[in-house]
Amino acid sequence: KKSEVSGVMAKADIKPKSIHHAKKWSDDVENLYRFQQAGYRDEVEYKQVKQVDMVECWPETGFVKKLQRRDNTFYYYNKQRECEDKEVHKVKVYVY
Amino acid sequence: MVVEKAGSSPPKPAGERCPQQQEPLGHVKKRQQQVCDGFTIKAMMKNTVVRGPPLAGAFKERPTKPTAFRKFYERGDFPIAVEHDTKGNKIAWKVEIEKLDYHYYLPLFFDGLCEMTFPYEFFARQGIHDMLEHGGNKILPVIPQLIIPIKINSGDGIDYSQQKRENIGDLIQETLEAFERCGGETAYINIKYMVPTYQSCILN
Repeated sequence: KKSEVSGVMAKADIKPKSIHHAKKWSDDVENLYRFQQAGYRDEVEYKQVKQVDMVECWPETGFVKKLQRRDNTFYYYNKQRECEDKEVHKVKVYVY
Repeated sequence: MVVEKAGSSPPKPAGERCPQQQEPLGHVKKRQQQVCDGFTIKAMMKNTVVRGPPLAGAFKERPTKPTAFRKFYERGDFPIAVEHDTKGNKIAWKVEIEKLDYHYYLPLFFDGLCEMTFPYEFFARQGIHDMLEHGGNKILPVIPQLIIPIKINSGDGIDYSQQKRENIGDLIQETLEAFERCGGETAYINIKYMVPTYQSCILN
């Protein structure tokens, strides 16, 4: 676990090099949508800000289940897909 | 000389003449009907029309009295963060749902299903959804406290729009099915006792 934490800390200094918008839905896009709804770029920033090494996910689908926002309130997400097709183009994909 | 017509009856004295035949000259009697209330002396008169009974208001939409959910929400007693920039489809919880006292909050949220205005209706519905999704074994002990508010909400929606009624009905059905699945062997019997119209989703 310590190695995971140190790995996270090292990533904290890394910022994305480029960004583009998602064109088609996928599992990764779904999770990005959930992180961005909570106010984060993606899983990398979430772990950096909240100083956690694990994100709670639904075991059945692998989608993010719960996130803590910057104001410390909690967002809970459904087991199934939440990002509709019309929202996909708003999801930002960061490339490191 | 008085000329009498053949076959005519002998002239009667003036006092015995039929009063209906007497009409004052130059005066036209009004035949207009008057409208009056029922069960009055006037209603028994000729040339009066009794107006119908006032509407009882049986089908009039009745505004629901403020629910306990609304009172608690406005007091800020719920662990819900109100957002003004929200997209409108998610609740931000101040406390982790897993740590909430379900005995206290879940019946209150179900009581809020009666609400039909935003944001009360949204928070009640979404709150129940979140709590049931993440409650796990915390839901089971609370089921007896939920049957009554569910029963009230399933039977009192006659004045609401069809769409709202279907949404609430679906939510109630889904909730009862979740109870039956995780409630153990006696779950169905207990639910059926309180909500006789419920149909099992497990048994044939």
